[in-house]
Parts: sequence; C-alpha cells; structure tokens
Amino acid sequence: MKVLQLASRNVIRSSHRTMVTTLAMAFACAMMIVFSSLMEGFIVGSERNIVSMNTGDIQIHQFGYRDDPDIYKQIEQSSELVVAIRQAGLMASERLFAYGLMASDNSSSGVQLRGIDLDFESTVTQINQHIQTGDWLDTADPHGVVIGKKLARLLDVSIGSELVFVGQTADGYMANDSFHIRGVLKSVSAEIDNSGVIMSNTMLQDLISLPDGAHEITIIRSDRNTDLDAAVQTINALVGDDLEVLNWQQLMPVISQFLETAQVQSLIMLLFTYIAVASVVLNAMLMSVFERIHEFGIMKAVGVRPWQLIRIIYAETFIQTLLASILGLLLGVSITWYFVRYGLDLSSLSEGISFAGLALDPVWYAAWSFESLLSPILFLFVMTTVAVIYPAIKAAVIRPVDAIHHH
Amino acid sequence: MNLNTLAWRNLWRHKRRTLITASSIAFGVLLAVTFTGAGDYFYTRMIDAGANMGMGHISIMAPDYNRAPSSKKRLHQAEALKQRVEEFDDVQSVAMRIQGQAMFASARKSIGGIFFAIDPRQENSDNNLFVKAMVEGDMLPSASGSSVVLGTELAKKLKLKIGKKVVYTTTDKNGDIVSAIARVGGLFKTGSDEIDGSVAILPLHKVQKVLGYQQDEVSVLAVVLSDQRYSNQLRDKMQALPQFADVEVLNWQQTQPDLAGMIAVDKGSNYISQLLIALLVAAGILNTMLMSVLERRREFGVMMAVGMSPKNLFLLVMLESFWLAILGLIIGVIVTTPWFLFMSQTGIDLSAAYGDGFSFGGVLLDPTFKLRLFKESIIAILVGLFGLALLSGAYPAWQAGRVAPVESLKTL
Amino acid sequence: MNNFLRTKSSYRVLLFLLLSIFSQWITAEPIEQDSERVHDLLNEVDDLWRGKSSYAITTMQVKTEHYTRSMKMEGWSKGKEQTLFKVVEPLREKGTVTLKSGNHIYTYLPKTDRTIKLTSGMMMGSWMGSHLTNDDLVKEARLEEDYDASISFEGERDGQNIIEFSLIPRLDAAVVWGKLVLIVLADSHIPLVEYYYDEDMLLARTISFSDIKMIGDRERPAVLRVVPADKPDEFTEFTYLHLEFDLELNDRLFSLSSLKRR
Repeated sequence: MKVLQLASRNVIRSSHRTMVTTLAMAFACAMMIVFSSLMEGFIVGSERNIVSMNTGDIQIHQFGYRDDPDIYKQIEQSSELVVAIRQAGLMASERLFAYGLMASDNSSSGVQLRGIDLDFESTVTQINQHIQTGDWLDTADPHGVVIGKKLARLLDVSIGSELVFVGQTADGYMANDSFHIRGVLKSVSAEIDNSGVIMSNTMLQDLISLPDGAHEITIIRSDRNTDLDAAVQTINALVGDDLEVLNWQQLMPVISQFLETAQVQSLIMLLFTYIAVASVVLNAMLMSVFERIHEFGIMKAVGVRPWQLIRIIYAETFIQTLLASILGLLLGVSITWYFVRYGLDLSSLSEGISFAGLALDPVWYAAWSFESLLSPILFLFVMTTVAVIYPAIKAAVIRPVDAIHHH
Repeated sequence: MNLNTLAWRNLWRHKRRTLITASSIAFGVLLAVTFTGAGDYFYTRMIDAGANMGMGHISIMAPDYNRAPSSKKRLHQAEALKQRVEEFDDVQSVAMRIQGQAMFASARKSIGGIFFAIDPRQENSDNNLFVKAMVEGDMLPSASGSSVVLGTELAKKLKLKIGKKVVYTTTDKNGDIVSAIARVGGLFKTGSDEIDGSVAILPLHKVQKVLGYQQDEVSVLAVVLSDQRYSNQLRDKMQALPQFADVEVLNWQQTQPDLAGMIAVDKGSNYISQLLIALLVAAGILNTMLMSVLERRREFGVMMAVGMSPKNLFLLVMLESFWLAILGLIIGVIVTTPWFLFMSQTGIDLSAAYGDGFSFGGVLLDPTFKLRLFKESIIAILVGLFGLALLSGAYPAWQAGRVAPVESLKTL
Repeated sequence: MNNFLRTKSSYRVLLFLLLSIFSQWITAEPIEQDSERVHDLLNEVDDLWRGKSSYAITTMQVKTEHYTRSMKMEGWSKGKEQTLFKVVEPLREKGTVTLKSGNHIYTYLPKTDRTIKLTSGMMMGSWMGSHLTNDDLVKEARLEEDYDASISFEGERDGQNIIEFSLIPRLDAAVVWGKLVLIVLADSHIPLVEYYYDEDMLLARTISFSDIKMIGDRERPAVLRVVPADKPDEFTEFTYLHLEFDLELNDRLFSLSSLKRR
C-alpha cells in the first residue's frame, strides 16, 4: 500500500513527463483497438456479405444438383423440411431455379430464373435491400422481376422494360411468358450479375409447371455467434442421407480460402501494428525511468532497498499503464464506435464491386469484439513490464554516487 | 558553435533513446516498403494477368463494343491500326484477337463458353496467359487451320481428348448462326475452374472466315505495355490521333472495372493500415522529442539567457528531428535492403496455402508473395517518413522556442 | 449450363426434319468406284420426301424419364430454304409457329405475341422437349458437303435384302458425329434405320423407320423414332398423318409478317 501511495505520488508529481508518456501509450493503445476492430469488421463483414447476400450459412440440395442443375433434381417435401428446420431454431427459405432464354426488344440472353419465397427469403438473405434502381419484388405484381446488373446492360433494358422468357416446362412443353423489370440489383455475385432473374417461387412454379418441391433450401443461423458445425449437424439429423447439406465454406471454397488468407494478412498487419506500438512504449518507458536514475540514486542514498525500488518503479509503471489504457480505451472505443456506425466509405474509390463471386460492400465497417478491446490493453501491460525490466534493475543495483552523477 | 553540429551532438547525449527512436523510423521504412512493395507487386501482377487474359492493358475496339459486345461490331483496318500502335514507345506487343460467345459441342454434350481467336505468331507467354498455362498438347500451330485449345475443365465436360473434334456454333457478322469444326490440339489449365471450364482458343483466320470478317477485321487489338502504369497516358495519346477517331481506345480499368475496383479498395485499405503505422511512428518521435525538450528546459533557459533567440532554439530542435530522421532512414535503408532484395528475387512461396492456382476477381495469380517497388513508391516512402519525422518534431521545437528564460530556470 | 440449351424455342420444322434430313445422302460425295451408283441410290432415298413444295400433318410423341407428351402439327415447305411449321395441338401451344427462311430461324409465341430469333446458344437445346436438338433440324444445307458416302454392306441381313451405307464426315465438316450408318431396303430403297456414332465409334443414337404404307403417291415409312443410346427407354416418335407434294405456295407464307396471322 505504501509503495502504491508513493508511486502514485511520484506519478502525479512528475505530471508533465508522465502525461507525455501516458498519452503516447494511450494513443498507441487506441490505434491498436481501432485497427483490431477494423480488421474484425473486415472479416465479419465479408463473411456476412457472402452469407447474407445470397448463400446463407448452409444450403440443402439434391445430390448432383450443383454440378448439373437439372430441374428434376428437386428436394422432395421441401416445405415440410423448411418448417422442421424453422422449428429447430434456424431460419430457412426455399428456392427454385430454371434456365432458358430471356429476350428484350433488342437482344436476348441465357438466364437463370430464381424463384424465391417472398415471405421468408428476407429472413435468410438481404438481397432485397441490394437494389440499385427500382424496387424489390411485390406479391401484387407477380410478373415484375428483379434482374442482375450486367444482364440489364446485356439486354439493354431499364425499369419497366418488357422481357419475354422462353424455356421448357417440367412436363416437356414450352414455357413462355412476358415479364417487366421492377428492379435492377447491385453487384451480388458473378452468376446473378450476369444471368440472374429473380421472381416469386409461385410465379416460377407456374411458369415451369412444377407444382411443388424446391432445388435449394438456404439456411441461416438466427444468432451468428452460435457454432456453424452444430447447425449443420442439426440439419443433417433432419434431412437424413438423401440430401446434400453443405456450409458456405464448402459451397464457396475459393472465397472461403480468400477470407482465410485475408485473416492471416490482417493478423500480420496487427502484429506489425503491435511491433510499432512496442517500440513507442519501450522507448517511452525506458526514457521515463532512465532520466530519473538521479532521483533513484537519492532514494537509495536515503535508505530505500533495491527490491523496494523495483517495486516502486513497477507500481509507477502499473499506474501509468492503467491510466494510459483507460485513456486509450476511451479514445479507441470512440473512434471504433464511429467506424462501427458510419464505416469508412471507400465508394469514392469504386462503386460496388465483386470478384470471385463475392460482392464487396464499398463501406468498410468496424466490428466490436471482446478480443479487439482486451488484447491491446493486455499487450500494453506486457510491453511496459518488459520495457521496465532493464532500467528498473539498473536503478536497483546502481551505486547511489554513480546515480547522482548520472549524466 | 554551429546549430547543426550542436543538434547532432545533442542527439548523441542520449544514445539509447536516439537509437530506439531511429530504429522505430527504420521499422517504419521496413513496413512501408513491405506493404507498398507487396501492393506494387501484387497489383502489377493482377493487372498484367488480367491484361494477358485477352484485352491487354489498352484495348482498341469498335465503338460500343465494350458496353455491349457483339460479333456485328468489329474493328476495320486492324492491320494498319496495329502498325500505328506499335510505333509508340513502351508498347510491348499488339495482338489481333476476336472474342465471342459460342456453344461447344461434342457427340455427348454441348456447353456454352467464350472463345478467343488468336494469331499464334502474335502471341507469347508475355502477352497471353493461356500460352503460359498449356498443360497438354500444343498451342495453335497457325492462325488458319482447325486446331482448338480448350480449358481442361471444358474438355472434361465435353468428354474430349486431344485429337478429338468439337463443333462450335456462334453468330456471324450478320447475326446468322454459323458453326465450324475444330480438333483439340492442346489443353490449358489456369487453375480457375470458371476459366478452365469455359474458354477455348481458336485460330484467328479460320474464325474470320466463319464470321465473315475480312483479314484485317477483328474485335479487339490487345495492347500490352512494358509497364501497366503507362496505360492512361498512352490511351490518351492514342485517342488523340486522327486514325483512332472512329474507334474506342480503352484502358484496363475500363475493360475490367471489377478488377480496377478491387484494386482500388485493396489499395485504400492498405493505405489506411500504413497510415495507422505512420501515426504510431510519429507518436514515437513526438514522444522522444518532447521528452528531450522537457528535460532540457533548464538548459534552454540558460541558452536563451546567454542570447540564443527563440527562433534558433526552435531551429535547434528541428535540426535534431532532422538528423534523427536522417539517421532513422539510413538505418531503415540498411535494414530493408537485404529483406527487399530477398523478397523481390526469391519471395515466399504461398502455394501450400493457396493450392496450385488462385483466381482473384477472375484473374489468375501465381502464389508467390514477392515485393516490387516503383521508383515513385520509394521516393514517396522516404519523403513521407522524413516529412512525418519533421512534422512530429515541430511541436516539441515550438515548445522549446516558447520557453521563457526565467520560468524555465525555475523549474526543477 | 446445359439447361440454358434446354430451350426449344426454335421450331425447326418437323417437316423440314423429315424432308431434308436425308437430303444429305444424295449429295454426299461417294468415294467408291461405284460412286455413280451410291449417288443414284441416295438420290432415290431422298426422292421419297422431295418435292418443289409440300404440306404435311404429323404428330410427335415424346417419352422421357420425366414426362410423356404429344403434339400435332402442320407444316409447309417450298424449296430447301423456306419452311413453316405450326402447332395445332395441344391447346397450350397452339398457334406457335416456326419459320426458317434462308439462314434465319424465327419462332412466334402466341402467348406473349412475340417473335424471337433463334440464337446460337439455343442450337443444342432440345427441340420441343424431344430428343432432337435445334441443331439437328438446322444442319441440312451444309451437310451436303459434310460426308463421304460408301456402300459398306449389300445383301441379306435378318431376313431382309438391304443396302448399308456408311457416311464418314469430312475432316473439316462441322459435325460432331464419328460416323453415320444408313440401312435401306434393297429393292424399294425405303430406309429402315439410321445409326449415329460418336468419334470413338460408340452408338449415340438410333433413328428407325417403320409402318411402311401408301402415303401420297407411293410407299413411304409413316413413323420415325429417335432413341438416344444412353437412355434406351426414352424415345421421340413422329407419325405422318398426311403428306402431299408440289402445291402452289405463295412466298408471303414464309415471311415474318405472316407469323402472327397464322
């Protein structure tokens, strides 16, 4: 107690110097917090982008459907299955696909029709919020469709334009109907951008004479912090062995690999930031102890024992670091809060982009995580402790006479 | 005594402190070189790979072809344009190519895909990714004939092997359906299933015949430059020429906006990371200089009392920052050079992490992590860090100049 | 991707199929010494369906793993370049018209009141849900130059006196097949069966002809059945109900503007 009192008195007394050191450390701490949160945000954000835009956490298909999307490879009793999945506490929605030709007045192109469940799609993905121009689907307007960005360009069409679909029904007849464009999507994925035409699944069922069943069930966890593997197991238990259940990493191995690489990269960046912080802290602490060797010499001369001196130095360091981390936390949290809320807008660099099937949000948001707040502070304490070892020992063993004549 | 000498000596009064601060600047150099170098290397690789996938760094095309490609739109007198383009400095190669969509059919299966019709005499592994990616058989023997080179995945889907035939069906210059036969002469594998499963390379003259094109009509002149950074400047120069008035001259950013956007965003986040580290380095310098100014208040007071002007005191501390920065940069260069040399020549092989090929935004990359620095980048790093050091020294220097002689004598 | 192709918007005319799929034989260049004879024989086979103009009513039955459907249609042709084809039954598709005029193929869709031009991406798609592709129906004119024909067997086989022709595609021919084999009756020269082989000489599909009876002015097979080799339980079968030749047909019948009126 006495040591702490003495130490805090020392810290307060040398206010100017302490302030400079403390501020430097607080700043470093804040930078670490901001940077960790931005990195966390990048990882969480890109995962959320992939998952919530189109793929979901988990998808169910008939085996072989993904390699050869045959309209007959349906999931039997899909609606019952979806209800069962929802009862198990997960969000799920059915999708139906068909392929054919879409013709506008000037041009035509092969398209993928995506029939989605208008009531439930928005519980699993946010594609409905990703409209560039026009509006999302509406049950009151079954012939209004939403199409991919590049497809719109290819067909040379805009909102309100008429499109004619020609394809084949499940019973071998001609599927033919006209549609109009309600909305054009922002960049979602290469497939949707180039060939996606989205409509309600009831409309599509009608068009291709496929009264029930779905080709894909998309599932998302209600709480993103729960374990993905556990969710896969829950679903496996429900569907049995007849259907293929894959998580998003298996569905999109390239992107998942890319994200893993990005995570490693961000860890490296973080490591570099920490090293930079270490050099600041090391220097600051070394200076603040060394320049007081003189003072310590006097303390030793008046009878303070080396061990006590070390304790005083450490107590001072501790108080200073505590102060720095509180300040750093305050500063870091406020900056992070801004980035979590408003993000870092990179859209001036590029309008929404997509690569390898992954659409990037041009606004970079930070994300809160316990680690990104705690690790910088822990690191700060470790660094200061290490930094002070050498000067503290030196102060403890130095002869008072030498210390007083130091410098 | 000369202020300069005084500043230099002052620095060495606290050897340890100076060295630590200088090494934090040096560390800044190392980091900046690594990040910028990785960026310069990575972006150049991606841009070059993207250019080598068909469109070049600069693409010369028929008007509106880029927005809505169609075999109706074609470039006339391509031969003459090609010769004119080749006169520019920094143009490494100009390849005449036809690009289009086609159905590829074997007796078993038919698949939609993309073809590039090329003249093999104009193509090599420096301007055509597919030449480099050959895994079986040979690249086209000539611009005529009926050989085809397929992606491995496409061949697999069509159940075709070398020597077997494939019928391709496409739309000719009048919008009519035409088809022709080709025999598989070789297979390429880029590592991206998307590309390997959809691209076929066909002989230029044969495709010209099939589409009803003249010998000097193509869809694009793909211009590959010795350095992708000249693409804007050269595009503007070409656009200004009268021969190019009726054609579209585009740079890779316009033909591959996804790639350009991705690079822009990646660059943005790279800059932000570097900025954070720069701020930390600056905080280190500021801390050091401020400490050293604060502990020398008494000394400054004395100096002022014996007639040194506040301006000179300010200058003295700035000079200290200056020398500290120079010292840091020198250490930085000494430390960074071997690292950079190693990384620019050998690099780190990441193939274990990436698998044997990695495609990024539709562009294929070889999985070696290497560094490359543009001259501008080197200058930017050195000037940037130097400026940063001076800037962080400014506040302590101003503090030093502000000290009133009597007051500073009182403290401590 | 293949499902992109499963659009069968193009109605390459059935008529055209029946009339012209054999026009290749006649003009295919014989390579044997008896080339004159091969040429004449194939010409005669072709004459079964050939006329300056024609009108036909046919039905089509398709059986696949997933569905069975049937369709009735009417067709007109004039020369080799002009063919028009219209669905009569079922009601769902009634009024759908396909026009081939020169190199262009158009489909009129009554439901949406639109005419669509066939694109290259649709050529390999199933034609009306059948086992033929649009491409099968289109290839006629060029196939003339595509094969070298020879007689590979002549005599009695399975109790019938037959002639077997082998047709090997030329090197530069835009044909996916490795070989075609056509078997005709030796005396009447009426075709019995046609085999399509891939490049490894594995059977890819069989077209068989049956129900030989008087149609129009002479004996002809009334039924044509296509069976894919990899799905032997599936088939597409065409039956002639009516066929007549050399009528007076106005060129306007084969114009785009006539599509809607029909």
